[in-house]
Amino acid sequence: MRLGKLFFLTTFFGVSSMWSQNKQLLYDFYEIPQSLMVNPGVKTSEKWHTGIPVLSGLYFQAATSGVTVNDLFANDGVDFTTKVRERLIEDMSKRDDFSTTSQIELFNVGFRGKNRPDDYYSFGVYGETDIIAYWPKDLAILAFEGNGGNNIGRSFDLSDLNLRGEMVNVFHFGVNRKMSNDLTIGARAKIYSSIFQFQSIKNSGSFTTTQGQNNIYANTINADMKLQTSGVQEIIDILDEDTSSTQRDLTSLFTRRVLLGGNLGLGFDAGFTYHLNPQTTITGSVLDVGFIYNSKDIKNYTLRGSATNEGIDVILPEDINDLNNDLWQELIDEIEESVPFDDNDTSRYISFRPVKVYGSIRYDFGLAETSNKDCGCAINTESGQNGNLYRNSVGGQLFMMKRPRGVQAALTGFYQKRLGRTLSLKTTYTVDKYSLSNIGLGLNLQAGPVNFYILGDNLLGYRNVADSHYASLQFGFNIISWNDN
Amino acid sequence: MKKLLPPCLLLVMAAMLILSCSEEQDFDQFDDLSVTPTVASSIFYLESDEEFINSVSAVSTFYAQTFNFDAFNEQFVAERLLEGTISYELDNTTSKRLNITIEFLDEGGNILDIESLSIDPAPAQTETLEVAYGPGGKSLDILINTSSFRVTGNNLGDATSISSEPEPKIIVRSAAEFLFRLK
Repeated sequence: MRLGKLFFLTTFFGVSSMWSQNKQLLYDFYEIPQSLMVNPGVKTSEKWHTGIPVLSGLYFQAATSGVTVNDLFANDGVDFTTKVRERLIEDMSKRDDFSTTSQIELFNVGFRGKNRPDDYYSFGVYGETDIIAYWPKDLAILAFEGNGGNNIGRSFDLSDLNLRGEMVNVFHFGVNRKMSNDLTIGARAKIYSSIFQFQSIKNSGSFTTTQGQNNIYANTINADMKLQTSGVQEIIDILDEDTSSTQRDLTSLFTRRVLLGGNLGLGFDAGFTYHLNPQTTITGSVLDVGFIYNSKDIKNYTLRGSATNEGIDVILPEDINDLNNDLWQELIDEIEESVPFDDNDTSRYISFRPVKVYGSIRYDFGLAETSNKDCGCAINTESGQNGNLYRNSVGGQLFMMKRPRGVQAALTGFYQKRLGRTLSLKTTYTVDKYSLSNIGLGLNLQAGPVNFYILGDNLLGYRNVADSHYASLQFGFNIISWNDN
Repeated sequence: MKKLLPPCLLLVMAAMLILSCSEEQDFDQFDDLSVTPTVASSIFYLESDEEFINSVSAVSTFYAQTFNFDAFNEQFVAERLLEGTISYELDNTTSKRLNITIEFLDEGGNILDIESLSIDPAPAQTETLEVAYGPGGKSLDILINTSSFRVTGNNLGDATSISSEPEPKIIVRSAAEFLFRLK
């Protein structure tokens, strides 16, 4: 019972839930060095920066586009089964998802080229876990209601099963170059070291119970389903052993895979910042254009074929000499032969990283100063453009991300306020499939060389966290040295 | 740096605590979840033409066969079955009255239950029988302990006449709708 509850809770509200990695607060928040991670071509001012190891960037996000924790578990006196039926089974569609993303930056360092001060180099390592599970509506109805009763004649769509997840360690190196006073571009190369990956994203088929041709019912399955896994089986094997060395074996396995000992992949990010005029800026970036080649510790599961079952069939006189009394087993064998389940497939496969695209337009106003001695903006002062510090910025951002069921998009409007050089605030309003009332607030504090930032999303959701469809939090510490040339 | 970290973290935590709240949640409600799907499937289908019945009905029994049927006593089914109905349908276009007997047998071959259906010669309406198991019906133990069926077809009429219906035959259909408790 406890295991069942744990599975239910973690499946729907924990591990297997999450979505967009939209970092609308961090995007183009160029006072924060980590903004390079969402746009390698962002404006950079620092001479160098270094993140506090492990504390430079912690990011957690969880989302559900359908039911919330509060919808099901509020102590409202409504029968729980009724709530599950009405709010989960009936209300959610197969496009609804549960998703979760977390990122932990192990280290992040950046420095300006000594001989090429227009170049800013950055490198680091971060770990990322990203899991998305779409609501398998038809399969949930099949489990909850069955194929009988009112569901006779209903076709259950097997493609509703759609999930994807991975844990990956990313080694990256990026170059940010100021091409002119108007244009800054950047690119980042990435090596992915996969810890595990699984995906079941191209399923098709149906299960139907109809009036039979001969007998009362005919159960028909037509399936083309596949679950691909890499790096999972070895973890399961270690956990199954459950010996005194389990902890050590797991640590060893994770360490090996984190340090390029597992499945590997390549990818890149690219981005730009372009000043249309001294006060108007457009930016864009594309992230995680890459793949992982899964060749180690592969275990795939397939269910492929079609069969129709109308029960045991005896037709006389043709079958009068069939004295086999194991007709039931014969029927089972026949179905299994027609729709074989294979769990011995070890074919290698390529998994693609979820590509993300950002774009923005920003208008700065409220000139505060015209020279920047301490902020590193010296590299921007040659023409007098963009070296100015504006107290306010307002603009819009677009975010798109490739997901198994297509592109998910979010639109953001933002306002940024700079209070001197020590404090900067950014507030956002974002519309996406999870929320139409997502208001976020970010704070960047610069105390001497110490930089602290915190970015919180969907603040209105904190009025009742359990009823929130979306929550994300990112914070970190950096040491920054400003340009002195 | 060391001086700055604690205040910042404190600020973050304080802000979260002040800003966030949640309605009372009762996660123990999960224990009350009831998942009881209805599963429908055909069981067996028997068809015999009148010519065959005439040819083997010297002793009136034109068909008798025992076959394994372990679907009901699979552990998964036995532990979760709440109630169910088995439906039978008989169509007869032959010229004779016929009887079909289905015996539910346990692993030792002992008879747990018998269903018997008779149908008049053509033109006869479809004969149907619905047998309920569980609360208000027969004992679920019959199903849970059933390991095989013995199906017997008896000719209650003559062994020479031929119906004027096209392709005269007897057809037996059967199916089950069972309610299971998954949670």
